[in-house]
Amino acid sequence: MESRECKIGVYICDCGTNIAKVVDCEAVREYISELPQVAIARTYKYMCSNPGQELIIQDIKEQGLERVVVAACSPRMHERTFRAALQTAGLNPYLFEMANIREQCSWVHDDPLAATEKAKALTQAAVLRVAHHEALEQMMVDMCPNTLVIGAGIAGLTAALELADAGQKVYLLDKQDHLGGNLARVDLTAPYLDSARDLLTERITRVKTNDNIELLLNSRLQELKGYVGNFSATLVSVDSDDPEENKAQKIEVGNVIVCTGYKEFPAERVTHFGYGKLPNVITSFDFEKMLRAGRIESKDGKIPKYVAIIHCVGSRSPEYHGYCSRVCCMTALKYVHEIKSAIPSCYVSDLYIDMHAFGKGHEDFYRRTSEVKTMFLMFGKGDHPIIRSAGPKDDCEMLIEVNEQLSGEVIEIPADLVILMVGMEAREDATETARLVNISQDKDGWFIESHPKLDPVATTTDGIYIAGTCVAPKDIPDTVAQARAAAGRILAKIAKGKIAVDAIYAEINEDSCSGCRICNELCPYSAIEFDDEKKRSHVLSVMCKACGACVAACPSGAIKGRHFTDQQIFAQIEGVLR
Amino acid sequence: MAAKKLQIALYWGAACGGCDVAVLDTNEFILDVAALADIRLWPIAVDGKYEDVEAMADGELDLTFFNGAVRNSENEHLAKLLRRKSKLLVAFGSCAHMGGIPGLANLTNREAIFSSIYLQNPSIEPGNKKIPHPETCLDDHVLELPQFYKRVYKLADIVPVDYFLPGCPPAPEQVKLSILALAGGKLPSKGSTIGAAERNVCDDCQRSKSEKKIKRFYRPYEIIQDPEKCLLEQGIVCMGPVTRSGCGVRCPESGMGCRGCYGPAPDVLDQGTKFISALGAIIDSKDPKEIAAIISGLPDLTSTLYRFGLPASFLQRSLKS
Repeated sequence: MESRECKIGVYICDCGTNIAKVVDCEAVREYISELPQVAIARTYKYMCSNPGQELIIQDIKEQGLERVVVAACSPRMHERTFRAALQTAGLNPYLFEMANIREQCSWVHDDPLAATEKAKALTQAAVLRVAHHEALEQMMVDMCPNTLVIGAGIAGLTAALELADAGQKVYLLDKQDHLGGNLARVDLTAPYLDSARDLLTERITRVKTNDNIELLLNSRLQELKGYVGNFSATLVSVDSDDPEENKAQKIEVGNVIVCTGYKEFPAERVTHFGYGKLPNVITSFDFEKMLRAGRIESKDGKIPKYVAIIHCVGSRSPEYHGYCSRVCCMTALKYVHEIKSAIPSCYVSDLYIDMHAFGKGHEDFYRRTSEVKTMFLMFGKGDHPIIRSAGPKDDCEMLIEVNEQLSGEVIEIPADLVILMVGMEAREDATETARLVNISQDKDGWFIESHPKLDPVATTTDGIYIAGTCVAPKDIPDTVAQARAAAGRILAKIAKGKIAVDAIYAEINEDSCSGCRICNELCPYSAIEFDDEKKRSHVLSVMCKACGACVAACPSGAIKGRHFTDQQIFAQIEGVLR
Repeated sequence: MAAKKLQIALYWGAACGGCDVAVLDTNEFILDVAALADIRLWPIAVDGKYEDVEAMADGELDLTFFNGAVRNSENEHLAKLLRRKSKLLVAFGSCAHMGGIPGLANLTNREAIFSSIYLQNPSIEPGNKKIPHPETCLDDHVLELPQFYKRVYKLADIVPVDYFLPGCPPAPEQVKLSILALAGGKLPSKGSTIGAAERNVCDDCQRSKSEKKIKRFYRPYEIIQDPEKCLLEQGIVCMGPVTRSGCGVRCPESGMGCRGCYGPAPDVLDQGTKFISALGAIIDSKDPKEIAAIISGLPDLTSTLYRFGLPASFLQRSLKS
């Protein structure tokens, strides 16, 4: 690989002692300054600090540097910082390369000599590579301010209101004929025992009267085309399968929030509790229905004297779902309060594995529940209580045998009504939704965030956001926070008016493309289109995430990854091996 | 006065003779060549001795077509000699261009080749198992054989090459056009590929192409082909996507997958790795075991990927003895 003539500045960062305690930065500097392309090489204590960046800016201006290499931490950490410094100095930000001599050197090696040699090799690779970098320009695309919100539960209602109150047009879509989603099935909420109905009614009224919100009930998304800022969505009615009769509606939106919620774990999958056989074994959702109707009773209409609540049905089990559904523990405590307030004489037992009371006010709620004389019985993970019908002499419907963990004894308790705390699981249509909006699901079917900690409501598809229980089980406050976060992200984008698209993307040289179509199915972001007339494939650069899959696969070498050209990569390899 | 006739030579290194036949396959055009040029050396068809070439002045030949790879000291000697004597040197055919089929010998080594041919071969009589040596003394005479090299080289590894005319063998029509172009002084820039297209085989292939998914590979005899449909889509290995066109799509039009003899497509650096990346994209499975099973349906993968160009590839040769 021929090396290219240009003036390169190289900056080696001590990172305090993070790098310098293992890597001899001065030796790296001496070695690298011998390379003919290197006009200047410096070491500095903290390159990312303002004086560190100033060093680069000054050298670009005074020495006329054409390329810059910083040997420091991961580009994930500071590539943006240094690119901005180049831009300040009037140099195209892409004429920059980072060598990671911290995460890939000082943090993972303890032999200073070997680590220093590796740092030299990595820095040299960056120098040889950067010589082949090209100045790239970001693209600006227009952004449609309308938003499609899929799912009108508490998340969807909240997100829609947030956007509409800010003056933006929202299409609120739901497959059902009413608003409210799963929350509409709930009576009171934990831990403050306020009514779900109240929470919802206020939102629903505001949504219905807001001129910026167009409600699309009994409808579903059929197709989503386009890219961030410029999606075209096709919506159809769920009632009819007849395409003639089923008039599709097309809408233009810039962003989409998916808040399709969860479905409850089907209790019939767990056979050992007799659900479906014993008439008074019911699920938490059956019980919510009773609460909303205002009467707690057994199948034959009697007021129960003994109620038992069993936790973790379908959750935290290798057989069903490995995860914790997060809301069931507090919901169970809520039931204790609701039962005690409706039937003060009722004995309530709560059979749990671990009491998960991690949220705000939850531990207090647990304490208050203990104070109302609830019998808490702990059973082992992997074990389960055994329910059987009581005999004629017993004064109860059923008897439950528990291998109680805290006392170490087998305890038998009476029950007239058993409530199974069923967890949450991904909806059956989640896979279809994920496919339609081009996002991913984890092994349990939940939608995957762009970053679980730092970017929790965005997805890997620009313009598609996720909020609420379609991402993972969560309670109302977390759901609302996510919905508002997603709306906030979108409002920030709308405020900018245009969207900058990264300058790094794949492009197809139409002269070299043979229309073999090997790349067509490959793109995880649906960014490749095939032009039937020209018999050529084409990358929609705004949708491309520069993953490089098509670049590698293109057999005729027609697809080039900007900023990742063969030349650049070979130069980098040569730098490591030289 | 008649214009001075073109002085040309055609030579073969480690080759099968097919390239020379491709020249003869230009049929009566060969008579035009004879009228146009003095053929000073062409071992397969015209009398001419190495001494005659050595006696020439440097640059006396206008044009040499060198076919075959460089396998031994004789090939190397003639490559260097003809380079010196010729104004233009053309690497003719896949072997001179990229090492060709003989280049697959780079997957093994000299010792193994000699052992296989001179010692293990079942047709050798038990008393006659001998490895030939470059020099043999016999009744005060020294008999010499060319030195057999450790590996096979493409012509450009040995001498600077002006043009590359690919193909195994080159299509006669392309041979004809190239001779006419060179004789007429229509010279492209040095180092270019001539007698071929600036696109890949698929671009010229008339079969219909759609999105590709492969569940298993078939040898051509194992499947009843759809004559209209892309061969790769039918599971028949076809190197067309990674291969330079210009051949006239001879193989795919006859129901055989392209074998890649015209070398990498213009924007492709390495034919084999490019093809394996492309296969990775179209094999229709995400299960490692199933993928391994599908790939095992490709016999002798390396030779399939680099049938004509191992010495010109990233791999070049096997270092393991």
